[in-house]
Amino acid sequence: MKRTLRIFRFHPEQDTRPHYATYSLEVQPTDRVLDLLEQVRAEYDPGLAYRRSCAHGVCGSDAMRINGRNALACKVLVQDLSTPVVTIEPLLGLPLIKDLVVDMEPFFAHYRAVLPYLINDEPLPADGRERLQTAAERDRFDETTRCILCAACTTSCPSFWANGQYLGPAALVTAHRFLFDSRDRAAPQRLQILSARSGVWLCRTAFNCTEACPREIHITRAIAEIKQSILKGRPAV
Amino acid sequence: MAHLKTALTGYVSYRGREGQWAFLLHRISGLGTGLFLTIHIVDIALVYFAPQLFLEVLQLYRSTLFGIGEIFLVFCVFYHGVNGLRIALFDLKAAQRWNIPTARGSARLVLIIALVLWLPCAVWMLRSLLLHNFGLFQ
Ligand code: SF4
Ligand code: FES
Repeated sequence: MKRTLRIFRFHPEQDTRPHYATYSLEVQPTDRVLDLLEQVRAEYDPGLAYRRSCAHGVCGSDAMRINGRNALACKVLVQDLSTPVVTIEPLLGLPLIKDLVVDMEPFFAHYRAVLPYLINDEPLPADGRERLQTAAERDRFDETTRCILCAACTTSCPSFWANGQYLGPAALVTAHRFLFDSRDRAAPQRLQILSARSGVWLCRTAFNCTEACPREIHITRAIAEIKQSILKGRPAV
Repeated sequence: MAHLKTALTGYVSYRGREGQWAFLLHRISGLGTGLFLTIHIVDIALVYFAPQLFLEVLQLYRSTLFGIGEIFLVFCVFYHGVNGLRIALFDLKAAQRWNIPTARGSARLVLIIALVLWLPCAVWMLRSLLLHNFGLFQ
């Protein structure tokens, strides 16, 4: 079958402003959007820039806007798209580098800001090995461990579009993962960071993040649990 | 400035679902209500500072354009109130229930409730507008 791919193009050394280029392709219904991009690169323009690595929805490199919605190019099939023209654009709200590649540094800066690691300075248990937790304690934050940092959520968020300082859903998902870990001891410090001006209260529950997450994480729920924790002054289990 | 452009681009071109529409409506209705409150506080203050001007302002309020504006204002108040309750309920009471079907469904339900509350008021206000400004239903 035929499909037209309409791709957002910008070459920082040649273009003063971005434009859209169209490519017509012969495709299969089971092709992924990523396959279509590869095809454009092979048949039309080897200079087309986008990120990809695993091609199986694991690494999180190829989040982009596909027909106006954030998704991983390697997880969307041609048959999932109802339009004959498929529009591909870079993530919104991060500085554009080239074509579909954006600068992820502001995104990772927010990730680092929530202390994305376990904090526990207490002495090790008597056997000198693991800090154990029950299956239920592990379950409490299981879902938020699934994040692959693709940025589909943060760059779909109206609050983040309007204010780049907002930590954003992805950083809050990671914050949730450590806040609700029974082994972590930094809850007061974490809650202070999360309740700051750029923190959790900028979430306006627009729900675009949860709709966009390729890992099906209940992001708005996790953020609401953080809000409740701040109000209670401790992880609200 | 760059952020404003990004936000506006997102508002109009990102194909969000019910949640994004509810967010936008909430913003617009909030801004509308806020604007009205500001004007209202100023015009009532005129009673004290400039009584003559106050009477002229009242005349302006009776104009058709303002009448139509008021009808929409009532919708803004209903929508903003009901949607605010929805968000507070989920965020503060029932975080566990935030999922895609409940978010989409509740956003639709809020719109329906706001419309149901608004319609009788709108009919009544429109009737009064037509009566006073156009002499209908005499
Ligand atoms: S929470 Fe989901 S959408 Fe957001 S960065 Fe992680 S995997 Fe991507
Ligand atoms: S290429 Fe790794 S997630 Fe798509």
